[in-house]
Amino acid sequence: MSVAGAARPSLAVENRFRAARRREIRLAYLLLAPAVLLLLLVLAYPVGWEVWTSLTDFSPLNDDRMTFVGLANYRHLLATEEFWRAATVTVVYAVVTSAIKLILGIGFALLLARPFPGRALVFLAIFLPWAYPASVSVIGWYWTLSPPIPTAYSAFMGTLKYSVDGALGSGAWAFLSVTLFNVWRGSSFIGVLLLAGINAIPPELFECALLESKSRWQRFRLVTVPLLLPFIALAAFLTLTSAFADLANVWMLTAGRIVFPVVGTHAYWLAIKAGQFGPAAALSLMLVPMLLAALLVLFRMFDPPEAQRS
Amino acid sequence: MNPRSRRQKLGHGVLVALATIYCVFPIYFMLVQSLKTAQEDVFGNPLIVQHPTLENFEELFEARGESRGFVGRALRRSYPFVDWLENTIVVFAGSVTVTLVASILAAYAIGRLRPPGFRWWRRVIFATYVIPQTILFVPLYQVVIRLQLDDNLLALLLVYPTMALPFCIWILSAYFQQLPREVEEAALIEGASRTTAFLKIILPMSRPVIVTAGIFALGTIASDFTLASIFLLSQHNQTIPAGLATMDVALDELVAVAGINVMAIPVIVICTVFARGYVRGLTAAMLEGA
Repeated sequence: MSVAGAARPSLAVENRFRAARRREIRLAYLLLAPAVLLLLLVLAYPVGWEVWTSLTDFSPLNDDRMTFVGLANYRHLLATEEFWRAATVTVVYAVVTSAIKLILGIGFALLLARPFPGRALVFLAIFLPWAYPASVSVIGWYWTLSPPIPTAYSAFMGTLKYSVDGALGSGAWAFLSVTLFNVWRGSSFIGVLLLAGINAIPPELFECALLESKSRWQRFRLVTVPLLLPFIALAAFLTLTSAFADLANVWMLTAGRIVFPVVGTHAYWLAIKAGQFGPAAALSLMLVPMLLAALLVLFRMFDPPEAQRS
Repeated sequence: MNPRSRRQKLGHGVLVALATIYCVFPIYFMLVQSLKTAQEDVFGNPLIVQHPTLENFEELFEARGESRGFVGRALRRSYPFVDWLENTIVVFAGSVTVTLVASILAAYAIGRLRPPGFRWWRRVIFATYVIPQTILFVPLYQVVIRLQLDDNLLALLLVYPTMALPFCIWILSAYFQQLPREVEEAALIEGASRTTAFLKIILPMSRPVIVTAGIFALGTIASDFTLASIFLLSQHNQTIPAGLATMDVALDELVAVAGINVMAIPVIVICTVFARGYVRGLTAAMLEGA
């Protein structure tokens, strides 16, 4: 391609060029191999297994005999009330937490966008909730929100819990605490991500906007948001995937008591407690189309086709 | 200073203060808890510690191996926390290294060597991010058993990297892609091998983005306890998150909060040291990648 533009090179040079390119391509595949092998082993194969199992009645309770049942598991699930309940909760949970996280994250990023005294420290403070390992902070949060023994604050937390549950129905406190935790950690990640996005935008564009429009809101709506949109889309994608698949946090913060089921915990329960691997696999896979749809919509925004790039 | 801009400054200050408190308070609270005696936990002010003590931390490190015994009038277990700590260090350091090596190699291939369809390689690898490992634990466990890695830390070294790989490859390849071709070509013409050019030129130039990938990998890996508690069965093989999740909440609250801090503080320190580089690397990758 690039050779064609130059003065026609001799055949020998062209051949040598091609051979070098072929070596380059071979090297490329070699370098891709470790990552691809890992992904095949740890993602592709399990997904394949999951798809196959979702079409069977495989269960450790059946002495390893399994029969192909087609789409029966899916049909069955779609007919149960628990599935729809879990699906609704999952969608509500994902959308609500993602929306709050995005709003807070945009706020954090804008707060940090311009210099002020102590900015480095505030940046660190905003970075910390994400950096704090979630696997252990979730345990700390659980005990803070639902203190196990009479500590100095457990009476206060107990009152709070029962008034929330009383006002909104049982399970509301659990839902609230999972949301609080998820938002706390996620808004920190998104704030930092969007700050990096703001830094990637040439400052002249903001200066231009400052001259063009006096209204802050207008500047935000007409300049900041459109420029940040690809990064917001990326952030939205990352938070939606983590929220949809959130099984660990829900499990931990409700101490394994499924006060409100999400698809993740319901599938876990089906597989581990009920030994129904087939339906559990079908249930887990129902998440994937939702996530793929989110990916397809958001990918357009954060990875536009080459032609659209300036 | 006119009143309008002073008001704006004040508003900004208030917002900054609120954001800081919101972000730091839970961390502060967990730290304060871990420094309390049981007595102060029950009768003291929940928000401050008056007589800070390290006895909760000491208790964590004193006990080696699992044992049960009476402390006061309550039956308590002790936990092999030192084992957990060692395991956690091995797993985290190992997983981050595997993630970085695999993703730098793959990103170099995509961004510099550009095999046919390299854009699709990049997109498809990133798209695997939509599949969460936590919903795949049943087949993953079978993979682990087939490889005879159950109850073995190597199982986590296999699984953890893939949680961060898609994102790391994505940002690294974006960065590599926008480096001008000349930076390497000059060295190649001088007769350096591709490896030398990579190690001497590309790698140092990419430090901020590699830092970003590393911090992202660490943050992602450190957030899992589900897989750790599924794959590591015996108690002395567990990592801190998996181990703490098994602790008896009612009696060991303060000791477990101390355990939380032992794990979190080093991670936070590492992240803090690299925090600036993290943002710089994200920016660099986003200039091209987003």
